[in-house]
Amino acid sequence: MLNLFRAEWNKIAGHRWLTSCLIWIFPVGAVAFTLVMALILSLSESARLAFRSDTVQWTEQLVGTWGFLNNPLGRLLLIGFTAVMFAGEYQWQTWKSIIPRNRRVPLILNKFVTLGVFVVVAFALMSVLLTLGMGLLRAIADAPYPPELSASVIRTTVSDYTRSAVLGFISTLIAAGYAALAAMLTRSILGGVLVAYAVTFAENLSAVGLILIAYFLDLPGILQLYRFTPGYNLLNLDAWIRTGAGNPIVLDYGANRVELADSFGFSAVVIAAWVIGLIGLTTALFRRQDITS
Amino acid sequence: MSTGNPIVTENLTKHFGRGHKRIEAVKALNLVLLPGQVYGFLGPNGAGKTTTIRLLLGLLHPTSGHAYVYGKDVQRHPEVLRRVGAIVEGASFYNFLTARRNLEVFARTANRYDPARIDALLEQVGLAERANQRVKGYSTGMKQRLGLAAALLSDPDLLIFDEPTNGLDPSGMHEIREFIRRLATEQGKTIFLSSHLLSEVEQICDRVAIIQRGAIVREGAVGDLLDAKTTLRVEASPLDAARAALGDRWHVTTNTTWLSVEATRDEIPAIVRRLVQHNVDVYQVTSQRQSLEEYFLSVVEAETPHA
Ligand SMILES: Nc1ncnc2c1ncn2[C@@H]1O[C@H](COP(=O)(O)OP(=O)(O)OP(=O)(O)O)[C@@H](O)[C@H]1O
Ligand SMILES: [Mg+2]
Repeated sequence: MLNLFRAEWNKIAGHRWLTSCLIWIFPVGAVAFTLVMALILSLSESARLAFRSDTVQWTEQLVGTWGFLNNPLGRLLLIGFTAVMFAGEYQWQTWKSIIPRNRRVPLILNKFVTLGVFVVVAFALMSVLLTLGMGLLRAIADAPYPPELSASVIRTTVSDYTRSAVLGFISTLIAAGYAALAAMLTRSILGGVLVAYAVTFAENLSAVGLILIAYFLDLPGILQLYRFTPGYNLLNLDAWIRTGAGNPIVLDYGANRVELADSFGFSAVVIAAWVIGLIGLTTALFRRQDITS
Repeated sequence: MSTGNPIVTENLTKHFGRGHKRIEAVKALNLVLLPGQVYGFLGPNGAGKTTTIRLLLGLLHPTSGHAYVYGKDVQRHPEVLRRVGAIVEGASFYNFLTARRNLEVFARTANRYDPARIDALLEQVGLAERANQRVKGYSTGMKQRLGLAAALLSDPDLLIFDEPTNGLDPSGMHEIREFIRRLATEQGKTIFLSSHLLSEVEQICDRVAIIQRGAIVREGAVGDLLDAKTTLRVEASPLDAARAALGDRWHVTTNTTWLSVEATRDEIPAIVRRLVQHNVDVYQVTSQRQSLEEYFLSVVEAETPHA
């Protein structure tokens, strides 16, 4: 099992161009950003002044980094990375050398695991580097960088960090699931990227889309479908964990109004169904696929 | 039925596409490969060689029928493929990795990583000095040799090579053929090799199946297939009388100064006796062993409706 993981890791990490541009760019970007900012701050008094007037907490910095997983650019890079991992073997014509050496199901599941490890390593590094970098910048500008370390600060930060990392990771896994599925079916890196990005985009617009459909078909019930989208449920879970209450949302047009307020359990089940469904579907289709390249 | 033989196929069939665009790439193929055989799989372009090999390796799913490797259906027990090493349609690699890294990735995928074995194999195929170079910069011949090393990684009992000398120059071809032949003679590997080159099959293999349009049209020991149809070159005079004397028993064609008679070596004394009885002077009778090339063309032409 460890061998299988290391095979995939070595393979992908050996593709220098790919990993530098699409995954190591996150931690490396954090360092580059810090260096550029440090240069600016050390040269310009006005920049230091402006920087000092901002309040920045290291705890927020640490936790907030994972939010970059949901940023459209971050998403696009990760979708590209996933598409190469899953479609690369078709384009390099290497499946034929790999498949006879192991069973198909572990081969494809291992790709998801390896992808997950890459994402976690890159983002954990990035969050630490950004937090330390920000500390450096605060020091240069002679600005405060609260809060002071204490047992309770550490406790809340650890739990905040875990929540944001886990939810960020899950939302990435869902986007990666689209990318993996599309890459496998189109057998092309570009196909995987385009389809997955289109789907992510469509998902973001699905509230508007559902309202339009409900309006034109005069079927307000359609709005209920929004309850099953990953985006809504991830936000709902996040709210439940943070505040102990959900994140109800209202969809309305004309006199029609639908309020969605679901329990933690409901959202957890829907999200699990998305993750398991996408990975399971990819695996099931891969098992049956003819490898002709 | 499934025996423990290296390869057994039972009515193995593969169609591509649907409707009137359907291509029957492999049609009800029945093959049996015994341990230790070096088996040639000979056929023109598009005959279905690669498709058969992909079916044997579990890369394609058969439309119907079964492929067994060492008695196990490869669809249901793909783990049996750990006993198989293969090169399919030219070896391909992660071009961005070095040769050694490629072998490491393959070995780890099979959960059998042994750096010493990788070094030994690189040495064996003559790539030790360039093992740390990226495969991107490799020539076709070097890639093919690396392919052999990759196929041998898990010390398989059965090797399947799809046109292993494709794209190589004559000395490269010779080198690879020697290597494959030695795998059989020195290490006792069973080998299944596809080719459209008859001379190659004749040099390496002891048994051959000729495949045409997805079906096997002839199968047998290389020697037997050739001996089955010998031609005798009979130099005699007068030719007309000779032809008349033999024509009722053998198939005879007249050339400018000799007759070709389709008969086996054993029949030479009878032929000479008969010619003498008919007062024909016999100068020379030689048996011309038909080359596999001629045999192949005659078989393929016979099986092609509109040739
Ligand atoms: N993926 C595919 N989709 C459609 N048709 C295919 C596919 N793969 C092979 N074929 C068809 O199946 C037939 C057999 O092809 P195959 O590649 O097995 O031949 P081959 O004997 O290996 O030929 P060659 O000597 O050219 O390598 C051909 O008619 C080919 O066009
Ligand atoms: Mg072929």
